Amino acid sequence: MNSKNQKIIINIEGRNYPNWKIDLKNKLKTLKSNNLEIDAKNIDLSCKEISEIIEIANQFDCKIICFCSSSPKTIVSSQSLGYKSQFIIESSSKNTSDEHKKNLTFSKTHFHQGTVRSGEYLESPGDLLILGDVNPGAKVSAEGNIFIWGRLLGIAHAGSKGNSKAKISALQLSPVQLRIAKKVARGPKEKPQLGLAEQARIDSEEIIISPLETT
Amino acid sequence: MAIDTRVILICSGKGGVGKTTLTANLGISLARQGFTTAVLDADFGLRNLDLLLGLENRIVYTAQEVLEEECRLDQALVKHKQESNLSLLPAGNPRMLDWLKPDDMKRIVDMLKEQFNYVLIDCPAGVEDGFKNAMAATQEAIVVTNPEVSAVRDADRVIGLLNTNSIKPVQLVLNRVRPKMMANQEMLSIDDVTDILALPLLGLVLEDEQVIVSTNRGEPLTLNSVNSPAAKCYLNIAKRLQGEDIPLIDPAEEISGFGAKFRRLMQTKIF
Repeated sequence: MNSKNQKIIINIEGRNYPNWKIDLKNKLKTLKSNNLEIDAKNIDLSCKEISEIIEIANQFDCKIICFCSSSPKTIVSSQSLGYKSQFIIESSSKNTSDEHKKNLTFSKTHFHQGTVRSGEYLESPGDLLILGDVNPGAKVSAEGNIFIWGRLLGIAHAGSKGNSKAKISALQLSPVQLRIAKKVARGPKEKPQLGLAEQARIDSEEIIISPLETT
Repeated sequence: MAIDTRVILICSGKGGVGKTTLTANLGISLARQGFTTAVLDADFGLRNLDLLLGLENRIVYTAQEVLEEECRLDQALVKHKQESNLSLLPAGNPRMLDWLKPDDMKRIVDMLKEQFNYVLIDCPAGVEDGFKNAMAATQEAIVVTNPEVSAVRDADRVIGLLNTNSIKPVQLVLNRVRPKMMANQEMLSIDDVTDILALPLLGLVLEDEQVIVSTNRGEPLTLNSVNSPAAKCYLNIAKRLQGEDIPLIDPAEEISGFGAKFRRLMQTKIF
């Protein structure tokens, strides 16, 4: 047996669910090692999808050592499940066809781990990924998107240099105020449903909040 | 000579949440457990720790004179009347607000460290110079807050500042808890507060009218009124501070004993 970690790349573009599972199983069958390093490329994986991958790996007696991805969402999901995760910055010659990537070219993603407390101000020239809460009185701002793995209770400003395609996502979205590009909105009065991640974006000149799409 | 002196900053951000009351009661409780304790009033603009301890009339020198070498440290320290393990060091003269710098604070605390097991620093309200001075000399902190939105917000700000100055551990005391209002959801619940502040809870202090009585008398509650609910809370906090595992009181249980508490209140003698 080879004791070295084996890196496998999962290819689930197109979201053909039954197929990617079979594909993954086939790949696992041919493996020589029990330790896996999963490279999810630039695919956004939710916690649920990652759990499914882990489950499949367990069926084949494989142990996942770490997840790599260039998608912040995948990184956050795998970290929240307690897996070591590595964020890979893609080279410019990547062949992604995601249309939002065309519109938003971000220089980098800024990570912040821990609570952003009242009076604190966090700013990023690219995307902003926060593992923790943004408390009331705190402000976070990014030229790109804002992802919050926690509660957004303060103020968030996405697309601070005028990018109206920027989005704000959080596990619990109950902000004091939301700003996207030049639009400002007050937070919703009612509390959101627990366990439902939400996303704010601009739709026909208004900031709207909708459940986070799992695609 | 004490070796492992714990220097604890007691702060809150917002004023009037009970920093000074906690400092005085914690000081008495720790002294009663046999630890030599110094309480340092860093709120030198509006000092009143001496009033709470009933020591106002005994103050001759302050930390200011000690630093200027006009007197020795032991001349400035005011020993408590009943609790000889407890000493108060008033920080300075309210008329001279600019004299204290973070380095001065460090020097005072270093001097106190040589003699005491515990140094409790009563921090002024706000996050300006007074707070920064007080923070300079401390290793750990207790943040006091009330179950009110404004107090929690200010505490959050203070915790952020403490974190960036790598003061550890920072623990939380939730003061003026009214079990009935919490049960009726008229007040922020304990979970609401700890969710936002994300700190280990060192203790709860129940709302108690006797606190006001004791403040006016200049006799901290923990000194003699063992029956007071708040005094018990303060004693428990002092024990937990030394790592004793004492369960937190459950506000829901306190309601059932409300009748008893009311009777006790009726018996309280005021002056």
